[in-house]
Amino acid sequence: MKPAIAIALILYLPAVVVGQTESEKSDTQNKIFSEIANSASQVETFSCDFLQEKYMSMLDNVLISKGRLYYKRHRRLRWEINHPSTSGFAVNGDQAKRWEGNSGQTQTFKVNRIPFIKVFTDQVFSWASADFKRLKQRYHIKILSDNPIKLMLLPISPQEKKYLDNFQISFAADASYVSAVEIHEPDDDFTRIHFLNTVINRPLNDSLFN
Amino acid sequence: MLFVATLAIIAISAIAFVNLNLNENIEAMLPDRKTDTALNFRLLQQAPFSRKVIVNLNKQADIHGNELVEITDRLAAAMTPPFFTRVVTGPGESLSLDFFAWFANVYPSLITGEDIKNIEQKLTADQIRKALDDLYVKLLSPEGSAMKTLFQIDPLGFRLKVLEKMRFLNIIPKMRLENGHFISPDGKNALIIAETPFEITDAKRGREMLISFQNLLASVVPDTISVSMISGHRYTLENINAIQKDIVIILTCSALGVFTLFLLFFRSLGGIFVFLTPICVLCIAAAGISVLYRNVSAITIGFGAVLLGISVDFAVHVYFALRAATGNPSGALAQVSRPIVFCALTTLGAFGVLFFSSLPVQRELAVFSIIGICTALILSLVPLPQVVRHTQMAPYNEKTYIKTKFRLAKGWVICLWLLLLVICAWQGTKLHFDGDLRSLNLVPDEIRDLENMLQRTWGNFRGTAVVFAEGPDLQTALETNDRVFQHLTRNPNSSRIVSLAPILPSLKTQESNRQRWNAFWSDGKKEHVNQLLIDQGKSIGFKFTAFESFAKAIAGPSPPVTVEALRTIGLAEIVDTLIIDDGKTVKVLTLVPDTPEIAALFNSSDFNRTSIEFASQNQFRKTISKAIADDFFHFILKASAMVILLLGLLFRNLKKVLLSLIPVVTGILFMIGVMGSLGIAFNLFNVVAAILIIGLGVDYGIFMVTKMTQGLDDATEKAVFVSGLTTIAGFGALILARHPALHSIGLSVLIGIGAAIPAALVIIPAMFRNGMKISDEQN
Repeated sequence: MKPAIAIALILYLPAVVVGQTESEKSDTQNKIFSEIANSASQVETFSCDFLQEKYMSMLDNVLISKGRLYYKRHRRLRWEINHPSTSGFAVNGDQAKRWEGNSGQTQTFKVNRIPFIKVFTDQVFSWASADFKRLKQRYHIKILSDNPIKLMLLPISPQEKKYLDNFQISFAADASYVSAVEIHEPDDDFTRIHFLNTVINRPLNDSLFN
Repeated sequence: MLFVATLAIIAISAIAFVNLNLNENIEAMLPDRKTDTALNFRLLQQAPFSRKVIVNLNKQADIHGNELVEITDRLAAAMTPPFFTRVVTGPGESLSLDFFAWFANVYPSLITGEDIKNIEQKLTADQIRKALDDLYVKLLSPEGSAMKTLFQIDPLGFRLKVLEKMRFLNIIPKMRLENGHFISPDGKNALIIAETPFEITDAKRGREMLISFQNLLASVVPDTISVSMISGHRYTLENINAIQKDIVIILTCSALGVFTLFLLFFRSLGGIFVFLTPICVLCIAAAGISVLYRNVSAITIGFGAVLLGISVDFAVHVYFALRAATGNPSGALAQVSRPIVFCALTTLGAFGVLFFSSLPVQRELAVFSIIGICTALILSLVPLPQVVRHTQMAPYNEKTYIKTKFRLAKGWVICLWLLLLVICAWQGTKLHFDGDLRSLNLVPDEIRDLENMLQRTWGNFRGTAVVFAEGPDLQTALETNDRVFQHLTRNPNSSRIVSLAPILPSLKTQESNRQRWNAFWSDGKKEHVNQLLIDQGKSIGFKFTAFESFAKAIAGPSPPVTVEALRTIGLAEIVDTLIIDDGKTVKVLTLVPDTPEIAALFNSSDFNRTSIEFASQNQFRKTISKAIADDFFHFILKASAMVILLLGLLFRNLKKVLLSLIPVVTGILFMIGVMGSLGIAFNLFNVVAAILIIGLGVDYGIFMVTKMTQGLDDATEKAVFVSGLTTIAGFGALILARHPALHSIGLSVLIGIGAAIPAALVIIPAMFRNGMKISDEQN
C-alpha cells in the first residue's frame, strides 16, 4: 500500500464488503491492516491542503473552510485553518496550543483538557502507529466499498455515540490518496474534508508543532 | 513466710504484667478530649491523606508515553484487600463532553451575584456579536461539531463562569490529569492514593502490608519505573525497628555499667537482690495499674520503667547501711529508714503533681509511679534487709569506694558552683519548647527525602490546614460550608482554597442563586437578549432558530447540583475526600494554606464559628508547645512546692530544707542551661525527665543532709554516689539511642543527674561546713 493510503487510514478508517463471509471479512480486514501497518511504518511526515465543508442545521449555509494539515512522528500534528478566518491548533506530545485570528495570541493547554481534540489526535496517532488493537476496542470497522476503497468507523462507546455516528473515508479510484473524510453526527449534521496536494516525508520544521 | 509471700506477689504481678493490655494510641499523650488541642488532633486525623497510603511512580528512563499510566493502573489493580481497600489513581475521565453539557444545564444553580454583574456587562449588541463571531470560528475547528449543542444552549458562555470555579477543586496543587490519572507537571510521576483498613499504630499488620506491597512491586513494576511509598505505617515500623536496635545497645551498655558497679561496690549475693528490686517493682506497679485502668498506655509503661529506676536507690541505701553496720543491723536499718521514708514521701510528692496534668498519660504515670515507689519502699525495708542479712557479705573494703577528696577551698567551690548556676540560668532562657510530635519520632533520611520529593513534585498537599463545617445532615453542613467559603473569599489573604462550596453549595444557596438568576432575566431582558442573538446571528450566518435552546434554557428550570450528580460526571473522588459522613454527623472539609493569616481569620472574634472547626498542624504544634511549656513550669513549681512542703514537715528546719534542695536546683538548672546553650528543644519527654531529676535530686539531698546532721556513717555518701552512678548507667545509656525520644530522656537525665551528684556530694558538705549552723545539729 502506498503511503497516501496510510494517511487516509490515519485519518479515520474501517471495513466490510457486502456479501463476504465473516472469515473473508476478517481476511480482508487483516490484509488491509497489515498493509496499513507496513505503510505507516514508512511515513515520517506528511502535509496536505484541505477543504472542509460543514453541513449544520444551525447555519443558513454550508460552512466552508480551507487550511493545511501537517503530521510528524512522535505525536506531532498541526491543523491550521486559513480561510475564512485564521485558527487552528498544534499538538506536540501531550502539549498543545491553539490560536484564533491573526493577533498571534495563542492558548496552550494539555491535549486531554479539550476532549474533542483529544479524540481527534488519538485517532490520528493511533492510525499513525498502526495501533489497531486500540482502534478495534473503540470502533467497529467496516469496508463500505473496496473499489474505490471506502471505510467506515462506528463508535462502540455510548459516550462517543452521543456525538458521533460514524466516520467515512473515501479513497481515489487508484487508491493512491484519500479523496475525502466524512464525519457524521447523530443529528444528521456532517462534515466532509477533502485532502489535496499531499506530500510524504518532506522534512517539517519542529517549530510548526511548538 | 515473708519470702514466700513476696515471691508469690512478684510472680503473680509478673504474670499480670505480661498479660497487660497496652494501648499504643498517641492520643494518650495529648490533653483530654475536652481541650482544643485534643479536638484539633482528632480533626487533623480526618484530614485528607493523613491516614492514606501514598504511592509515587517515577519513570526512570525514556519509556513510551502511556507506559507510566499503564503501570500505574496495573499496580493499582494489584493493590487489593485485605491490605488495601480503596485505591485511586486519579479522578477518571472527568472532562468528558457530558461534563461540559452538565455545566450548561446547572449553571443557574451555581451562578452568584458577582457572576451576574460580570455577565450583565456582556449583553450589549457589540459584545453579543463578538461572542457569536468567536462561536462561528469555533465551529470550524474539529471540536466545533461536538460542541454545537452546547453553543446553542449557551451561546454567550455563561457556563464558563461556573467552570472557572473548578479551580477550587484542585486538591493536589501541582497535579495535572492525563487519561484521568494524577500526573506530575513534568510527566515523569504518577500518583496512587490508597486506603488501608489497618491502624497506623498496628505494627504487625502494617509490616504485612508493606511486605505485600514490596512483593507486588516485584511482580508488577518494571525496572524502568521506581516506586516510593509513604504512609504512617512506615513511620511506625521505622520507629519500632530503631527502638528494638536501641534497646539492644542500651541494655548492653547499661548491663556493662551496672556490672562494673557491681564489681566495684557490691560483689555479693545481696548486691544481686538490690538490682532485682526495680524489676520486681516494675512488675508489681504494672499489675497494680492494670487493676485501675482497663487499657494502659504503652508510653506509661515505657516511661514508668525508666522512672522506677529510682526505686533502686532505696535498696542501695539499705544495702550499704547494713554492710557498714557492725554488730547491730537492726539499728542501722532503723537509722537509714528515716531518710528513706523521707525520700519516698518527697518523691511521691514530686510524682503526685502529675495527677494534675491534662495529659492522660501523665496521670496514668502518676498512679504507676506512686504504686512503684510504695512498692520499692516496702521491698527495700522489709524483705530486702532479711535477704541481705542472710547472704554472705563481702568484707567492707574502703578501697572499693572511690572516695573523692575535694582539695579546693570551700569558698571557691561554692563560688564556682554559684557561677555555673548563674550561667546555666542565663543559658536556660534560650531554651525553646518543641510541640511537634513528629520530632519525637525517628524519621530516617530515606523517608525525609521522600517527603521532600513528594512536596516538590506534587505541592504541599499533605500539609494544609483544614476547616470542618459540621452538621447533623449534609445540607446543614453544606450551609455552614457556604459560610466558611464566603468568609475566606472576603479576605485578600485567602488563596489556594480547596472547597466544594462553589460547585456544591447547599440547596438553600442554590435556590437563592436560581431566584437571583431568574429575577435577572425578568422585565423583558430575556426577550431583548434573544432578539439580539437572532439579529447578530443572522448577519453572521446563523439560522434564526439556531439559539432557541438558549431561550428555553433561560426560561426553564435548572436542576439542582447534588452529590450524586457530581459523582456521575466524574468528581466522585474529590467529593468523597471533602465530605465525611460518619452516620451521625456530616463534615464538609475546606483545605486552606496553613498560615497565621488564615488561622487568624478563624480565630477572629467577629466570626461566628458555630459548627466550624479549624485544624492546622502549625496551630497544633503551637498549642502543644505552649502546653509543654506551661506543664513544665507548672510541674516544676508544683513538684518543688510539694517537695519543699514535705521537706519542711520532715526536717522542720529551713536551712536543712534549702540544703536538701541543692542537688535539685543544680540538676534542673544544668539541664535547662546545657539544653538551652546547645539549642536542644525541650519536649514532652523532658518534662517527665525533669520530674525524675527532682525526685532523685531531693533524695540525694535528704541523705546528705541527714548524714551531716544526724551522724549517718560514710556509707551514706557512698550510697548517694553509687545511686547516682546506677542512674547514669541505666538512663544515661539512653543517650546512645538513635530514637529521638529515648535519646532525649537520656540526655536530660544524664545532664541533670550528672550535675546533681557532685552537688550533693560536694556542695552540700561545703555549704554545711562553711559555717551554716543547724539548730538541731547536736541532736
